[in-house]
This record gives sequence, C-alpha cells and structure tokens, in this order.
Amino acid sequence: METLSFEFPAGQPPKGRALVGCVGSGDLEVLLEPGTAGVLTIQVQTSVNGAEQRWQHLFERIFQEQTPPALNIDIHDFGATPGVVRLRLEQGFEEIGHD
Amino acid sequence: MNAHDLLWGMTPAHLPADAPAWVLEAIGAGHPVVVRRAIAEPGHVAVGVRGRLREQRFAAQMPLPAVQRRVAPEALRGVISPRDLPALRTLDQLRAVLAQESWGVTGSAGFELATGIEALHAQSDLDLILRTPLRLERGDAQDLLAILDTAECAVDLQLQTPFGAVALREWANGSRRVLLKTVSGAHLVVDPWQAVA
Repeated sequence: METLSFEFPAGQPPKGRALVGCVGSGDLEVLLEPGTAGVLTIQVQTSVNGAEQRWQHLFERIFQEQTPPALNIDIHDFGATPGVVRLRLEQGFEEIGHD
Repeated sequence: MNAHDLLWGMTPAHLPADAPAWVLEAIGAGHPVVVRRAIAEPGHVAVGVRGRLREQRFAAQMPLPAVQRRVAPEALRGVISPRDLPALRTLDQLRAVLAQESWGVTGSAGFELATGIEALHAQSDLDLILRTPLRLERGDAQDLLAILDTAECAVDLQLQTPFGAVALREWANGSRRVLLKTVSGAHLVVDPWQAVA
C-alpha cells in the first residue's frame, strides 16, 4: 500500500462534491471535493506499488486536454487500468458539474 | 474461452523478449495463466501472468494450440482447501447462498484452489463471478450484496452479462452509470445488459 500526492493548476472550485467508482479489483473509488481556487490536489492510495510516474503522466494527459476545476481528489485504487482511471475521473467531473 | 478461465500449457518461448524475470519463473514453473478480457491477435488468447506480489501482473498472448488444459471458475466452487483463511471460510458460507446460481471463483482464491499454490493470505478478498445472462434487477442486487457484506472477508462479485462484467456493488448502489468491462475496454453504461453503442 502506497500513498501518492499530486498537484496541478486548476480553475475555480465547484459547489458540490461527488463520490464515484467502486471498491474492488481493477477499479477505484474517487472522492471529489471543492478545493482552493487555482489548485487541484490529488491523493492516491494504491495497492500497486512503484507506479508514481504512471499516475503523474496519466493525470498530465487528462488535465492538458482541459483545465480542471479546483478540487481535492481522494483516490483509492485497487489496480485499475489507466482507461478505468480516466473514465472514473470523467464521471466524477460530470457529477460535480450537475450540482 | 472466457475471462477468468485458467489455462495451462504456456511456455517461456511464448513470452515476449522483454518479459521480466518473475514472469519467466512463473511460466517456467508451469503455473497457469488467466484469460483476460481483451482482444488478441488471430489464433491467440489474451492472458495475464500472476506473480507472487500484487503488482506482479503481466499481460501476454497465448497461442490457442498451446492450451493443454482449461479450468473455468465454475469448476472451482466445490474445491475444498486444506487451508484455513477468511476468504476460504467465506467461500464455504456462500456456497449455500449461491446454490441455485451459475457462479464461480476467480482471483487469488481461484488460482489457489486450481493449483494448490498459496496465493491467498489473511487479508485477501474473495473474488467471485456470477453469470447473469438475464438482467439482475437492482433490488435483487441489493439483497445479494447485503448477504455478501455479512461475510467474514470482503467479497468482490462481478456480474457477467452478455456484454461484459459489472461489479455487483456498483450495480446495487444505484449509481446511474456503471462501469462495464468488455473485451474492447471499460465503458460507463446505463444498462449493462444492453450492447455498448
């Protein structure tokens, strides 16, 4: 078990919070809460050790497409593939946008 | 051949040149590989190699003619282990609950029951697959989840629909869109019993 921290430039904080995903092999649980304007923080707790670079690169690719809202994101990872991580984050952003 | 089936017959010669040492070791020792939910080249099946450590998972392709033996998750539900661990005690308890269903054992427990190789430990979850060719209503999913959640260890049950697999926990929890794992990757869908558009 490993805990990783990341920080990215962001826009304004949203109003709502969201919890998406699922505890179970190959999946992850993502909690998104409003953060400080301009900053996106991500904490990843993962069962797969030694993958810090992979997470960093994956987040960079996701956030370069669009500036994310200012959030504190908590991720509990159970060995999800990059494709699943991307889907869950998109789902989380969508749910926050709906409030 | 379906996702989670265990296959014997792969040899180090079938592995790519960049395979790590632990992969060669596992295959060289005759361990089975696990069928993955992915598209393989013609004449091949997508498989995963398990190592001793949790992060030791390696994706490979196995030529179909090399398959010597196949064990499906269903074949493992009756296997009695000499070991005494929470995941195995939970499996004992759940046999009666699932008696009328088409289900099987996957993950570490399935691997251990099929091979006798110790893959489980005291903190291991129990991974199960339930074949649901017909829609499992959300209310029924909640009832089943409530029973599984009384078990001694965490149970990760995947519902296998005609189009992929969805976690019972997520389907029961009422989220509008759920994650369906298919051979072409993961998709967020409203109805896991409908073909992905």
